[in-house]
Amino acid sequence: MKDSFCPLLLYLLSCSLILAEPDYHERLNLQPLTPASLLASFNFWSKASLQSYEEQHFRYIPRSLGQILQHAKTRELHLRFSTGRWDDESWGARPWGGTKEGGTGVELWAWVEADSDAGSFARWVTLNNALSGLFCASLNFIDSTRTTRPIMTFEPASVGTNASTDNLYLLHGTLPREVVCTENLTPFLKLLPCKGKAGIASLLDGHKLFDASWQSMAIDVRSVCPADGSECSIEMEQTVDMVLDVQRSKRPRDNPIPRPVPSEGLRCDDSKPYAGSEICYPSDISNGQSWTIAEIFGRPIQGSCLAEDSNGNPLDSVYIDVPNEREMYVTSGTENKHLSGTCRSFTLPKSEPFEMVLSHLGPQTFNDHTTPPLYASRSFTGHGQERGGVQTLLTNPSLTSSISFVYFETLPWFMKPYLHTLTARLSNSSTPNPSLVKETFYRPSLDRRRGTQLELLISVPANSTVILTYDFDKAILRYT
Amino acid sequence: MMAPGTEFGEGDRDYRLTSPAKSSKKPPPETSESIRVRGLVIVSFWAVVIFLGLPVWLWTTSIHRARLPLQEMLDWADGKACKPTFPLQIAIEAPFLQDAEARHLMRMTQHALDDLNEFSAHHLRLRLAKSLSSPSGRNASIPESQDLEIGQVFQSYEDLDVRDDSALTVRLRAQDSIQAARSELQSHSTILDVAYAPNQTPSVSSSSSALATFIANRLQELFAEEQAIIAYILGQSAAGIQSTLHSPYVSPATAPGSREVRSRPNRLINPEMAARLASRMTRSLKYAPTYHITMSLFTPSASPSSWQIESALAEYLTPLLDSISAVSNFTVDTQVQFHATFSPSVHAPEHDADHGVWTLQEEDLSGFINAAEWPLSPSIGAGPTLNFVLYVPDQTTSPLVVKGTQASSWLIPHWGGVVILNPQDASTTSVGSTLSKEAIRPALLTFSHQLLSFLGAPQTLPSLPLQLQTLTRIRAASLLLSASSTMGSLARLTVALPSIAIPETVSTAVDATLSHLRYTCNALKEGKFTEALENARIAEAEAERGFFEKSMVGQVYFPDEHKVAVYLPLLGPVGVPLIMSALKELKRMWASRKAQRT
Repeated sequence: MKDSFCPLLLYLLSCSLILAEPDYHERLNLQPLTPASLLASFNFWSKASLQSYEEQHFRYIPRSLGQILQHAKTRELHLRFSTGRWDDESWGARPWGGTKEGGTGVELWAWVEADSDAGSFARWVTLNNALSGLFCASLNFIDSTRTTRPIMTFEPASVGTNASTDNLYLLHGTLPREVVCTENLTPFLKLLPCKGKAGIASLLDGHKLFDASWQSMAIDVRSVCPADGSECSIEMEQTVDMVLDVQRSKRPRDNPIPRPVPSEGLRCDDSKPYAGSEICYPSDISNGQSWTIAEIFGRPIQGSCLAEDSNGNPLDSVYIDVPNEREMYVTSGTENKHLSGTCRSFTLPKSEPFEMVLSHLGPQTFNDHTTPPLYASRSFTGHGQERGGVQTLLTNPSLTSSISFVYFETLPWFMKPYLHTLTARLSNSSTPNPSLVKETFYRPSLDRRRGTQLELLISVPANSTVILTYDFDKAILRYT
Repeated sequence: MMAPGTEFGEGDRDYRLTSPAKSSKKPPPETSESIRVRGLVIVSFWAVVIFLGLPVWLWTTSIHRARLPLQEMLDWADGKACKPTFPLQIAIEAPFLQDAEARHLMRMTQHALDDLNEFSAHHLRLRLAKSLSSPSGRNASIPESQDLEIGQVFQSYEDLDVRDDSALTVRLRAQDSIQAARSELQSHSTILDVAYAPNQTPSVSSSSSALATFIANRLQELFAEEQAIIAYILGQSAAGIQSTLHSPYVSPATAPGSREVRSRPNRLINPEMAARLASRMTRSLKYAPTYHITMSLFTPSASPSSWQIESALAEYLTPLLDSISAVSNFTVDTQVQFHATFSPSVHAPEHDADHGVWTLQEEDLSGFINAAEWPLSPSIGAGPTLNFVLYVPDQTTSPLVVKGTQASSWLIPHWGGVVILNPQDASTTSVGSTLSKEAIRPALLTFSHQLLSFLGAPQTLPSLPLQLQTLTRIRAASLLLSASSTMGSLARLTVALPSIAIPETVSTAVDATLSHLRYTCNALKEGKFTEALENARIAEAEAERGFFEKSMVGQVYFPDEHKVAVYLPLLGPVGVPLIMSALKELKRMWASRKAQRT
């Protein structure tokens, strides 16, 4: 599978090639998406040695978060804030391979050090309460009914730690109803070394971010103990991804209401058979539309933030995925075209603003989007408030290879699934095919104490769709 | 046994016999059997109520109140149980004097000291050092303002502390070249070197000596502030209890030696001293077993991006924290913050062309810390957080100082300290964008001074070990008083709220507090101040634990009206028939007895 997401690839390359890696770097990847959207991926990566972290000497790892993690004895943390819907069909594969996003609302999972299950849950509650205060989110409502302990789904991202020998417990919680908004972005920006005042973070503005069609904020903290026995370190990665509607973002802020284009300003698609002087089919004018950073984000990038390697050489901070033939202009900073022909990168000037203009040059100015490895959609069936069912369509678009993955579902305690009705069948046959589900892990719910946890290891053959269904009852809720 | 029919027959006959037609409305008189049965029924109801209901009710509604030694607790709070005294041992080392001469000098100095001392609770006791002829003493010269590294300072302090339990050692030495006696206190030790002219050597026969007076004055001078602080603390607590002591302070001109005046602790504090002490006390932090220290580097740009704080802390601050660890524990964390801007309410620095500096207005200093944006949240965990902020101004606005005083550091009460480090000062010692250990040394030294003043150490003492000793005594005294007053509050609370439950844990905590308070008081009397502080810390912790016992804080309080409202609907329907029947029965018995008598 082709990976067009250039920073990820470059990052992996740079990790192996450059030894003098700085303790902090940030990247912005801009990827125009058809028809008229722009994916902006912000990535902030920082590192500290585990020793200085444990002695509470904080530099790029923020003190507020670091103290919380130490207080709750959390070794690894993943926190996600997401809203909107990613349009698989027209935008292709998700950024970062989908690893930097969660379900709608807030999702949190962490490896917590404890002596027992009960001890780990107590620390998990401490962690949630503290993070709730830090991020102004209702994370304190992740109680025992919303907490699960996944068995198959998550793998620790930390290197060199062993979950079973180090007494680490994995806990997972979701708040699907949480509305992610500006109050979550502000503390997120405060964790950055330059606080959104310099560097690419200066583009992050609540008005634009939460106006996006899809957005996701992620925080990952992990520890890395290299196998060669060198010094352990702790790494923190903050990611913001958003898909902006170019047209919508270009609206001036003082006049945000869209108005009809006057007829002489309309651009018509003349290839339609009914095209004429009276009838106009608007052409996909946004194809190859030109834009500047200030138009899209409301302001240019305010200089660079710690964008130097340890030898003082400037590092590339802004990447854009457009074919090399497309013309671009920048105010300052050096441009660096990559060999693949689909990606180029820029360094930021030290303190002047940085502006970038993407010119309009014909319709063929996009990289092809990649196909995601799997399409999934889920819907409710049944009727009434009491009896229902869940149907999930899992489609493998690959023509040659089958795909295996873990399907992880948590249900609130008042939804009682009937496991005997759980069936998986291929879309072209009407009989269930039990061999599609390789493994099942099921933890039933307890009223008002624990939700249902269902993990299925599913294999989808090449070029086919699996339909997974099960029925459930909703418990009658008391009003008191 | 009779058949029912027969009984009815007999009853009918009786009825016809005893009731003529005109009085047919009257019921038949009760048989004595049924009266007896009714009486038994009423008695048994009452028996159930009294012997079963009442005890069950009492048992289920009673509040467990553990026994507390209330009187003893109040005694402690009122200061009746313990009069804290602070006898300080001062050793005199006089290797050049004859034993008799030295004893005589000591006696005279002690006498002069006693005359000077106006506060009986805190007194200095002189004694001759055991090792009269230590070789170091013989050859030592008065060191000229040694500039030792702080690490060594603490090293030598610890050695001294182990060697000797005296607060101060006075080392006497004759010197030919000088006319009058002079003294010097080294900043890193507890030795007061006194040099005197040979002709000042006191003879055994003389009754007064200039040297003795000089030593006494010097000692008194050294410990004056400590005496004042302790007197102030004791006076505060006394004033808190007895409003009579709120009277204005007596002027210090009263003749020394009169016992009544001496016993008044407020006696030696004049009003301006009191005001100074009060401001000092408000600045210093409330005692806590653990303090968190946060060291932050703030810059308005992205440079300097790091500092050698770990090695600097290890060298300049950790020795100090280790030596105060007897008083409190400390955790230290550090952070670096870039792009830190002032809050909008603060005026931008102005350029002062005369001095070539940028100035901040003094009234802006309180708003210098941009609380909204700078991440200076308190650390997690029990105990207050002290923030020490090192601000490195931008190249374009440096050197930055405070207008008027040209100062570059200040202290924010109860919060922490700020030091502005101007890059020019540091440019010689910093490499690239890293602040070197040497560059931040002055800032860390300022921070350690600020820390000491937050803890309440006296400012006038030149010697750090003496400051720490003083701190030990001050803390011991204030902890003793605070634990005592907590005991008093708990006792008064217990008396004031009869419906509050007192669990056994409170009782044990109170016992532990009282026993540790007694240890503290005895240790103070014996001059074992470190031990006193240890016990006072435990006492304080136990007292707080007892006072803030969870089950006591969340007490269930029902006002009496509430109780009536609960019990009346319950007891009314049950109580009225019970009482009425009892009354009726009593009335009947009374009537029948009357009838029998007549």
